[in-house]
Amino acid sequence: MSSRWTATQNDLLDALRKLPAALFLSWSDTKARYKRSMLGPFWLTLGTAIGVGGLGFVWSTLFKMDKATFIPLLTVGLILWGFIAAIVTESSQLFIQNAQLIRNLRIPLFFYPIKLVLRHLINLAHNAIVILIVFLIYPPDWHWSAWLVIPGFVLVVLNLSWMSLFIGMFASRYRDTETAITNFMPLLFFMSPVLFKAEQLGVGSWIVWMNPFSYFISIVRDPLLGHPSPEFVWPVAIGMVLVGWAVTLWMFNSRRTRIPYWI
Amino acid sequence: MAHLVFENVSVRYPIYNARAQSLRHQFMRIATGGKIAAEAGHTVSVTALDDVSFELKSGDSIGLIGHNGAGKSTLLRTMAGIYTQDSGRIIREGRIATVLEIGSGMDPELSGYENILRMGMLMGMSLKEARSKIPEIEEFTELGDFLNLPVRTYSSGMTMRLMFAVGTSFQPEILLVDEMFGAGDAGFQEKAKARMHDLIANAEIFVFASHDHTMLGGLCGRVYELKHGKMNYLPDFKDKKLERTGA
Repeated sequence: MSSRWTATQNDLLDALRKLPAALFLSWSDTKARYKRSMLGPFWLTLGTAIGVGGLGFVWSTLFKMDKATFIPLLTVGLILWGFIAAIVTESSQLFIQNAQLIRNLRIPLFFYPIKLVLRHLINLAHNAIVILIVFLIYPPDWHWSAWLVIPGFVLVVLNLSWMSLFIGMFASRYRDTETAITNFMPLLFFMSPVLFKAEQLGVGSWIVWMNPFSYFISIVRDPLLGHPSPEFVWPVAIGMVLVGWAVTLWMFNSRRTRIPYWI
Repeated sequence: MAHLVFENVSVRYPIYNARAQSLRHQFMRIATGGKIAAEAGHTVSVTALDDVSFELKSGDSIGLIGHNGAGKSTLLRTMAGIYTQDSGRIIREGRIATVLEIGSGMDPELSGYENILRMGMLMGMSLKEARSKIPEIEEFTELGDFLNLPVRTYSSGMTMRLMFAVGTSFQPEILLVDEMFGAGDAGFQEKAKARMHDLIANAEIFVFASHDHTMLGGLCGRVYELKHGKMNYLPDFKDKKLERTGA
């Protein structure tokens, strides 16, 4: 049992030591995806800008909302949702897609979730340009609490990392996980405060807080837009990190060596 | 000093059918007390290695034969540490390189050069180290300007040249190669052989699984046959080989 835990620790540490390689590979993956296009990875930025621009103007007109509050809310919300949803959805292919690598090279298995999260951080960095532009047009009124965006984002990344590893393992054993996830994501989208603020639902806002991703959006977006988060958001996000990592590590420890056979 | 020891190593792996891989069926099984979807939980377990023991030291070159499914690839993967044994003990000392499947670790959209860096970094090199290997790999593969083209335009022989060159470029102490030379042309096979002779001469461990008896005879000091998860030494492999070619 203890030697198994040592091996698991080695896997995790080796993967962290390979961080430069993961960064290089995720950057080269990003480049490969846009290899034969003129704008390269900036297609991401452009695509997001078009989406946010179009939706922002249509919806703010439709719902008769003030553009200066609605468009920044929607932009940050949509981009964060894209980041979260992409990691969660792609995690269901985490080990399956890398099956050839896993079966042929000895690479720590924790390397793959790291690589996935890094690749989406790179995408997010491209999309952040859109946020900057929107903030130039509709400047938010920042309070001193805006710096909370940094620890908030760190919590989100820590949460998404365990989720990625957890989903990746589960989905390589049970192949219909992927279908289940792609079916549930749209539902979770409508349960997320992307198109609205949770307060707008009034008494029904508990529905939003049933969705773990609502916390991720709230904890980053609220300080960024200069309004306060509900006070329970932080403890829940920290709790999710602790419980999530504990469960995932336990599962990773007991089933890690089976992964090469599952895929 | 490279060292590879197996002590009573057994590897069993589960084979899941479509039902066992289905979450829905697992739920059904629990919900119905296992009566309706009784089949769902059944997974067949294959014993790929059964109580295998051996010791390899620097300078050993081992050939593995055995028909398809005899466990050659499983043994190589267990040696590499990709598969974990169910019982027994394995001691590995030395940097391990594997050349197992054509094209693994390569991104077909990226150029040969970019793939050299990718593969190098996956194998644990720093970017600088990987860059420093490029001239040597250029020379060994003789791919010339093709290295600027995406790997998807390569033939399987060319992909294999690149893989073999990268796999052996960082002076592995233990080199594990699975059957894959079929794709290379005669010129490349000669080169690969020469490089492997070098590696063997540098007191490293070399394990090669193949169906090509001539290559095994030429490259390997000892040949083992894998059968029903057991390794059997074939002491007269080379003599037999000579007889057969003589007759």
